[in-house]
Amino acid sequence: MQNQFSAPCAAIDIGSNTIHIVVARCTPTMLDILADEVELVRIGESVTATGAISPEKLAATLTTLHAYKALAEKHSATPIFVVATEAIRQATNSGDFIAAIQRETGLEVRLIEGMVEATLTFLGATYERAQEKNAPAQVGVMDLGGGSTEVVTAKHEQITWRTSVPVGSGWLHDRYLPSDPPTDDELNTATVFLTTYFAGMPIKQLPPVLIVTGGSANSLFALARRAFRLDKTPMRLTLAHILHCEGLLQALPAAEVAERYQQPVARARLLPAGALIIRTMMTRLHLPEIWVSPHGIREGVLLAYARYGEQWPRAIEQLAEPSGNSHKSAEDGPQETTQDEKYLHYGRRLLADRTEKLLEWREAVLKADDSESVHKMRVASRRLRATLDAYEAICDAHTFKNIYKKTKDVADVLGVARDTDVMIQNLQAQSAQSPVAEQAGIQWLIERLQTYRQQQQRVLETFFKKFDEREFKRQIEACLSKEGVRHGKS
Amino acid sequence: MAKAKPITGIDAQATTGVNARIIARTRLEELELWGRYAHDPQRSDELHDLRIAAKRLRYTLEIFADALPPEIAAITAEVTQIQEELGALHDSDVLMALLRLCSQQAERAEGQVQNSHAQAVAAQHEAGKHLITDIALVAHLLDADTAPAQIQRVSLQHLLESTKQQREAQYVVFREHWDSLQERNFQGDIRSILDAGQ
Repeated sequence: MQNQFSAPCAAIDIGSNTIHIVVARCTPTMLDILADEVELVRIGESVTATGAISPEKLAATLTTLHAYKALAEKHSATPIFVVATEAIRQATNSGDFIAAIQRETGLEVRLIEGMVEATLTFLGATYERAQEKNAPAQVGVMDLGGGSTEVVTAKHEQITWRTSVPVGSGWLHDRYLPSDPPTDDELNTATVFLTTYFAGMPIKQLPPVLIVTGGSANSLFALARRAFRLDKTPMRLTLAHILHCEGLLQALPAAEVAERYQQPVARARLLPAGALIIRTMMTRLHLPEIWVSPHGIREGVLLAYARYGEQWPRAIEQLAEPSGNSHKSAEDGPQETTQDEKYLHYGRRLLADRTEKLLEWREAVLKADDSESVHKMRVASRRLRATLDAYEAICDAHTFKNIYKKTKDVADVLGVARDTDVMIQNLQAQSAQSPVAEQAGIQWLIERLQTYRQQQQRVLETFFKKFDEREFKRQIEACLSKEGVRHGKS
Repeated sequence: MAKAKPITGIDAQATTGVNARIIARTRLEELELWGRYAHDPQRSDELHDLRIAAKRLRYTLEIFADALPPEIAAITAEVTQIQEELGALHDSDVLMALLRLCSQQAERAEGQVQNSHAQAVAAQHEAGKHLITDIALVAHLLDADTAPAQIQRVSLQHLLESTKQQREAQYVVFREHWDSLQERNFQGDIRSILDAGQ
């Protein structure tokens, strides 16, 4: 990719609280932002209440997207990317919601997973600071959304750990802080919940700097700036600033906060929850201050497009889970990069991690009608096999042969079920568009495949009930000894 | 399906970065080996092997992503795309093979009761291909007790014809993508990235 700015393109993100657009010209490392707008739609409110996106929220979304599309077209922005995050992921009617958007606006919505969201947010939130001369080598990014919070840590711009938790400012408000202003009891309960929840996050390498992004963080900064007459830059908040903000937010109803500090009322209602989440995270990370970034997932999408072209979604998915060990720093820390780590040591860690990832799907696979788990476990089995392939040369030959066969058996039994699922899904999709002449045959075939799939479910159940996990893990560990053997030069 | 090429030259005590490059280069050679058949849409088995080679390269790049230069992410994305295009092609090949077997056997077995497993083995043997590894599925579909009625058989024929067309379209998508990668010296790019990061 070149380092000249591209023609304008646009990115919209549909989140739990807001719908946000950025129009910009891009390079792989920099953005020239032409337009940046946000609308507080609070889709997550109806999802938390009913599990689905209400018709009113859909209507509000469509109105906003029509306006954003016009804005993008005004800047001749193309393509226009639309990503949807936690609230949409959680909604029972997300498929209908996305289809309605496509039908009514012509915009194609990409529903992204939490880890992808975290990775895109990291790109967006850090790109400006990464250009600075004294940019810190280690940094954490927290994207505080309405329905989820993503946390990423990185060293020299390489992500070392990340997680996505389904706790956001909208969710915390709706679940724990419904009063306006929130009561002491509500705040105490919410604090206990957050402290306990965050304590369970396995961050070993605490980042010395935390950049916080998302609507709540930016609104909190805007409030603090007006209340305490802070400079517009740097966008930095100390623990004392946040505690003072919380005092204000606990004393004043949302309408008054909105009026005094020029905030939308709907946003002001969520600020106590946002401030509490930020403060609890600061305590968890032992940080006296945070940096606030106005950038996030949208900017991340545009930078990813500039870096990887049309393949950006897949490239980001792979960055989000480069080796299936996204929580590796919990065990190992980022002290040594993988590049420099001894092959043998990395292999032992990788094999253990791959094995865990494989086995964690076992229970779900035993539930009938969970074709996605079968798919995930099969992919995990393939990844384990690929790892074994990579390490065969330095494994004990006998143990390797044994465990490789066992892994292949797992892959095979899952493969039969998965291949049948894929055939059924393909035929069902084909059936919707096929002429009448093909319908009778397709239906016959689908029914036969479904019967076969049920038989295979019983085969799967028998196989996995007999499967000895402890022995499997033991053999995996044994096949690559601490010294490495056979063809290795050691 | 061709066996994975053995990896030679691995040093257990070397860094992951060094060994990851050795494996990635080997997997790239496998991709190039089967890539020779990319221009022949009739070589279903070889195209399937090309898909497997793409998958092996992809998994290698994913496993060692942390040990390879960051530019490898875009490469992995392209390889995954190729693998998926060939996967769609393979799905159509399998479906076409099944439809042909159903059609042939239904005609032959009309009025006869046969051992469906034996039928399946025979039918697959006749097909002379290695596409359908799941003989039990073939036996299940060829079970005389649940054989398709006349109207369903005719309909399956229509489905076979449309699947052929779909397969042709899928091949064109793959071929255009593959050619575009060759035009921009994709394999050369991978080697440069692997060499540069050392």
